[in-house]
Amino acid sequence: MITVQNVFKYFGRIPALKDISFEIGRGEIVGFLGKNAAGKTTLMRILTSYLPATSGRVFVGGKDVDKNSLAIRRYIGYLPETPPLYPNMTVREYLKFAAQLKDVPVKHMRSRIDRVLDDCRLLYVQNKPIAHLSKGYKQRIGIAQAIINEPELLILDEPTSGLDPVQIQQVRRLIKDIESKRTVLVSTHILSEIEHLAQRVLIINRGEIIKDESLKGLLAQGGAPPKIRVRFKGERDRVARMMTSLSFSGQAPISCDGETHVLEMEMGEGVTPNDLISPLLAAGIQVLEVKEHPLSLEDVFLRLNPPQPERADE
Amino acid sequence: MNKILTLAQKELTGYFKSPVAYIILIVTLSIFHIFFYMIIEENREATLRDVFLVMEFMFVFLVPLLTMRIFAEEKSGGTMEFLMTTPTSPTAIVLGKYLGSLIFFSLILLMTGVYYALIECFGRPDRVAALTGFLGVWLEGALFVAVGILASSWTRSQVVAALSSYLILFMLYFSASFIKYVGGPLQPVIHYVSTSNHAANFSVGLITISDFVYYVSGILFCLILTRAGIDNRLWR
Repeated sequence: MITVQNVFKYFGRIPALKDISFEIGRGEIVGFLGKNAAGKTTLMRILTSYLPATSGRVFVGGKDVDKNSLAIRRYIGYLPETPPLYPNMTVREYLKFAAQLKDVPVKHMRSRIDRVLDDCRLLYVQNKPIAHLSKGYKQRIGIAQAIINEPELLILDEPTSGLDPVQIQQVRRLIKDIESKRTVLVSTHILSEIEHLAQRVLIINRGEIIKDESLKGLLAQGGAPPKIRVRFKGERDRVARMMTSLSFSGQAPISCDGETHVLEMEMGEGVTPNDLISPLLAAGIQVLEVKEHPLSLEDVFLRLNPPQPERADE
Repeated sequence: MNKILTLAQKELTGYFKSPVAYIILIVTLSIFHIFFYMIIEENREATLRDVFLVMEFMFVFLVPLLTMRIFAEEKSGGTMEFLMTTPTSPTAIVLGKYLGSLIFFSLILLMTGVYYALIECFGRPDRVAALTGFLGVWLEGALFVAVGILASSWTRSQVVAALSSYLILFMLYFSASFIKYVGGPLQPVIHYVSTSNHAANFSVGLITISDFVYYVSGILFCLILTRAGIDNRLWR
């Protein structure tokens, strides 16, 4: 669906994208992850043909974005970082305006608007001016305009940024609902977002793609072993001494949780949870719970993308 | 064509949803009415020639207020990105917005048609001169709208857009006043560029190809520059 070949983008002398290449197949749901100013929005703007690349080629649906920008825009639904809304229009007026500009056939216009209002749970506010609605509603209206033309490719730039937790849940649920049958590219700097929405992750840092991996693969490899969490009762110091003598790698401190203690450890190569639990049981320690604790995307991201001093151009 | 009309309709409804447009409409028409009364009272002539002069002068100040938001608001509100990522060509966007503003301007001018009706009731005006006079003011206003839209496409700030329009319109409108201070080959250029010189011909019933070409080419020039300015794809 999307092919990006050796794309560079400069703003003046400042490089925003450096030699970006990747492919996204039809129906894939890809998370685009990176810190602020990493180049995510620039790349999305190039894909939607809003900005031209300085060099390199981009194909959407097999067509060159440079040569067929108007045709390509028919395939695309795009939600920019700030939902593009006209405050003095009502929700329905705005969606009608968007549908007209996106070539929705007149005979289908009414039914399409009704369906999108329903899908995005906007029926109740359809005749209210957008200016009077909450941020969560505005985000949903932004998504509604993006899907009004039933696009094959949906590009969402930071779809939950600035929302409160309840609104984030609502928007995530909505995106989940509309993901089916579409190729979706979601950009975000919120790691848990990707875990909820995407199957594959592209990590971008300072204009370069530093990781292109399936979500599962990324979490599985992540460059580190998974963690194990053991909840036990009593004799904290004795367990600590045992851990030292067993010389497991990546030993973690034992935290106290009421009457019980929690030991959290990274499992070294070739070490199984049994190697840890058996000595504890043999020593008569009362083990209450053993849980494998997979690495979060946040852990992986921080390993791949360690904090660095900010550059002047950022 | 449908998209041009859609965008024009959006601009037009945008004017009527804003109190600013009503205020501009009321203030402008009130000033026109006062001047119309004073001019007719003073001259005691069934002609609108001097009224047209006042209208032209007023439109220099009025039109930038109407056009300042056209693109500046889209840019500051983030909707420019929306427009430019729909399958709508930049040319259609510029034409649609221009058409919407031009219709609103034409409505204001249409309301001054009552002056002609009044002098027709109480005198025997030169009908041709009156009609060509309206045509001249309309063409001049259409050029002012195009200039205002061009200035609005340069910035996110409506204030900057309005000030830029004023700068250009003052140069175009008042340049005739400075002709006597400029000698040599620049004199005919300034004479041709001055909008008021061209409108003067219309107000006495004279339509020349040169005046027509001046307005139409000026409008096209501004719209082409606007189109080039909003299309990021031209600027790698």
